Amino acid sequence: MKYYWTRFRLHYPRTLVYMLQGSEYRIKNYFTWLNRSDDFRKIVKRRKLDYTKKAGLLLATVWVILSVIYVTVIALLMIAIIAINFTLGLIAVAMFVISPLFVSYLIVVPLWLGKKIVQEPSERKLVASAYRIFADHSALKIAIAGSYGKTTAKEILSTILSQGKKVASTPGNMNTMIGISRFAASLDGNEDIIVFELGEEKVGDVRDLCDLVQPDLGIITGINEAHLSSFGTLDMTVATIFELGDYLGDRPLYKNSESPLVSAKIINNDKLAFSRRGVNGWNVDKAETDISGTSFIIEKGSKTMFAHTGLLGLHNVGIIAAAIDIADSIGLTIPQITSGVKETKPFEHRMQPRRVDGAWILDDTYNGNSEGVQAGLRLLKSLGAKRRIYVTPGLVEQGDKNREVHEKMGQQIAEVADVVVLMQNSVTDYIANGLQKGKFDGRLIIVDDPLEFYTNINHFVVSGDVVLMQNDWTDNFA
Amino acid sequence: MNKTIAVFFGGRSTEHDISVITALSSVIKPLELSKKYNVVPVYIAKDGRWFSDDKLKDVSLFRGQGIDDFCAKSKPISLVFDGGLIFRKSGLSNKDVRIDIAFPAMHGSYGEDGSLMGLLRMAGIPFVGCDMAASALAMDKVLTKQVAQANNVPTSKFVSFSKTDFNKNHDEIIKMVISDLKFPQFVKPAHLGSSIGIAKVDNIEELSNAVEVAAYYDDKIIVEESVENLIEVTVPIIGNDNLQTGLVERPLAHGDDFFDFETKYLNGGKKAGGAKQTGSQGYSELPAKLSESLYEASLNTAKKMYTATGCGGIARIDLLIDSKSEIVYFNEINPLPGDLYAHNWRAAGISSVDLAVRLVELAEDRFIRNQKIETTFSSNFLKQF
Repeated sequence: MKYYWTRFRLHYPRTLVYMLQGSEYRIKNYFTWLNRSDDFRKIVKRRKLDYTKKAGLLLATVWVILSVIYVTVIALLMIAIIAINFTLGLIAVAMFVISPLFVSYLIVVPLWLGKKIVQEPSERKLVASAYRIFADHSALKIAIAGSYGKTTAKEILSTILSQGKKVASTPGNMNTMIGISRFAASLDGNEDIIVFELGEEKVGDVRDLCDLVQPDLGIITGINEAHLSSFGTLDMTVATIFELGDYLGDRPLYKNSESPLVSAKIINNDKLAFSRRGVNGWNVDKAETDISGTSFIIEKGSKTMFAHTGLLGLHNVGIIAAAIDIADSIGLTIPQITSGVKETKPFEHRMQPRRVDGAWILDDTYNGNSEGVQAGLRLLKSLGAKRRIYVTPGLVEQGDKNREVHEKMGQQIAEVADVVVLMQNSVTDYIANGLQKGKFDGRLIIVDDPLEFYTNINHFVVSGDVVLMQNDWTDNFA
Repeated sequence: MNKTIAVFFGGRSTEHDISVITALSSVIKPLELSKKYNVVPVYIAKDGRWFSDDKLKDVSLFRGQGIDDFCAKSKPISLVFDGGLIFRKSGLSNKDVRIDIAFPAMHGSYGEDGSLMGLLRMAGIPFVGCDMAASALAMDKVLTKQVAQANNVPTSKFVSFSKTDFNKNHDEIIKMVISDLKFPQFVKPAHLGSSIGIAKVDNIEELSNAVEVAAYYDDKIIVEESVENLIEVTVPIIGNDNLQTGLVERPLAHGDDFFDFETKYLNGGKKAGGAKQTGSQGYSELPAKLSESLYEASLNTAKKMYTATGCGGIARIDLLIDSKSEIVYFNEINPLPGDLYAHNWRAAGISSVDLAVRLVELAEDRFIRNQKIETTFSSNFLKQF
């Protein structure tokens, strides 16, 4: 409570709404964030409050509540002075002191009421409308599920299939019931293929989304500890993601056999199990990766193609092979597919290379899972560099495996990096322990302000360095 | 508790603006990022007033009229020598800031020439870069060449004279120059850096004009004979006793042109008309493509001159190479290279943050060493009066 006074700053109401928005208006997440916050000057760092209608209304509500409290406090004080009533004065002061605390909890009441009275009925309508749109649409519907790699798989598939077909795909990481339902309204109706990214946070999410989008074909990109806090166990995570397979039944389901948790569910001779070795009769050879991208030869019977993608890392080869197989199966020609693969480039903040003062920066700040860490470290190890610098805040939502995951991560980093930069937070010590266990003998830098570090990285690097910046925590995790 | 470092920049110098860039981009920001120090900016305006305020860390203040408005509205600081150096901001109550270490990020007169170092020596605090005597020496192109000659380091042929002599005996001096030196020649003010007032001349008329221009900037002028088959290189060095060299760098200019002020700083290292790059000295061959023996010879000559002139902390040694004869000539010394030559150090494997921190450590090392030197002794001399 050292910084309790920061709750009386003019920006406090805006900060509360920012926290609600940052928690995606989930009351539990908001309270978790609120309860561990003390200094409210340091909450808003990475982003600013997006003044949506909802945020504006909530902000106005906070000010109204505070105004009522302050008017009451002033009135009580005046009465207390006139009547020389010490108790009344004390009550007024107490009201003033607890007012920010009071408003921070009271704010969820109008939020909850708004959700029940306005939001949910309108969302039900939106979802029902989206269901009809997808049911009536003749396009081939491809659904992608997994703990990681969904957005990359979606982008790869959309880029390659767009060479010969009209393709629509869910934008960004719009992967919830509401997000996908809003996307439905943007469809023209004459698309050949629609690619969906299915998000998952709790049991039943993937099944519900399958019911909505009614996919004809599916891809499972991989499974790990992501969202373990909400799933409870890894078995529940696996079961939830495989709800896609349950829905599809006999229809095709591509599965990433490089993910141990997915591989365990693959029955022998499953032709649609994909890896960097190939898929469904396609054999991959001579796969190589460097800072300019990844190249490989892939052949099936009389069909051979030399594939080059701007994407970095051999872990991309498997999903590209799966996309090639899908493209081939729907009738795209080899030149069309080759051209499609060539057009796949690193996506923003996902293993995206850029040059800074003679050093290479690999921006993988949107990658926040243990498989991504391993893929990143493998790539970092494979690249020639003066110094290999690994920058990370760690991973979020690792549940009761938090310590284990981060210590292991530290050990893996120790094998590759010359310099390690950690962002100070709740998992920093675990990673540092892992580094120690891994006998890390390089330089460890721990920074308090990640944004300051990211924006001034040119001052930390030398020519020939390769810097891998993996994951970035949003303010609600920092 | 973190030590407080004062970073001095600006100044009553023709290189005022370069100093601002050096301080903000290569000193203040890296020192702050190191999280090891409290950094206090000290801006010396062109009229000589001193200001200190955190707003001075923001480069946008120096664009347009911002800095003039700031100086007009702000109160200058005063200095107090009270067992060290204290900046005092006068007001309703005086606000004092005690300085532990000084980082002069100034170029040219009243900053790089030893003046500021003299003041800091009197204050008795550690400061970054060359000491007073080396700074004063390095700022004089004539004296440094004479030191080179005394140490058997080749220099190009040169003639020097004062502005007063030139004004009095214009014709005789021009005659002397053309009898002693062949064309093309370089005419330079003896004390300025950043190529200000420098001209390359090919005939008497150009020579006369160039000397007049140089005399406008300085009271001492040097004319040098051009080195044939010229390769111009430069070597940044850091260290007090154990020297660490950067890479031998070859600033590039078209044909037989040279790097004037405009090329160095305003065009980002390219002659006008070329694509612009940001930062000083942006257009160069790094490392210089020289034979192994010439590369080594350049490093050795640079180190020899760094030591001979008593440099410490940091300096950059400019050299001229005759590519046919493979003779490496000493040209001049910059006690505080623009931007600290951070691009070169980065290429050599030292980041901006590590460079700034290392320079502060070197300053502290030298200070500790100098404190062990006895500067007073007891005598009966006064008793005789």
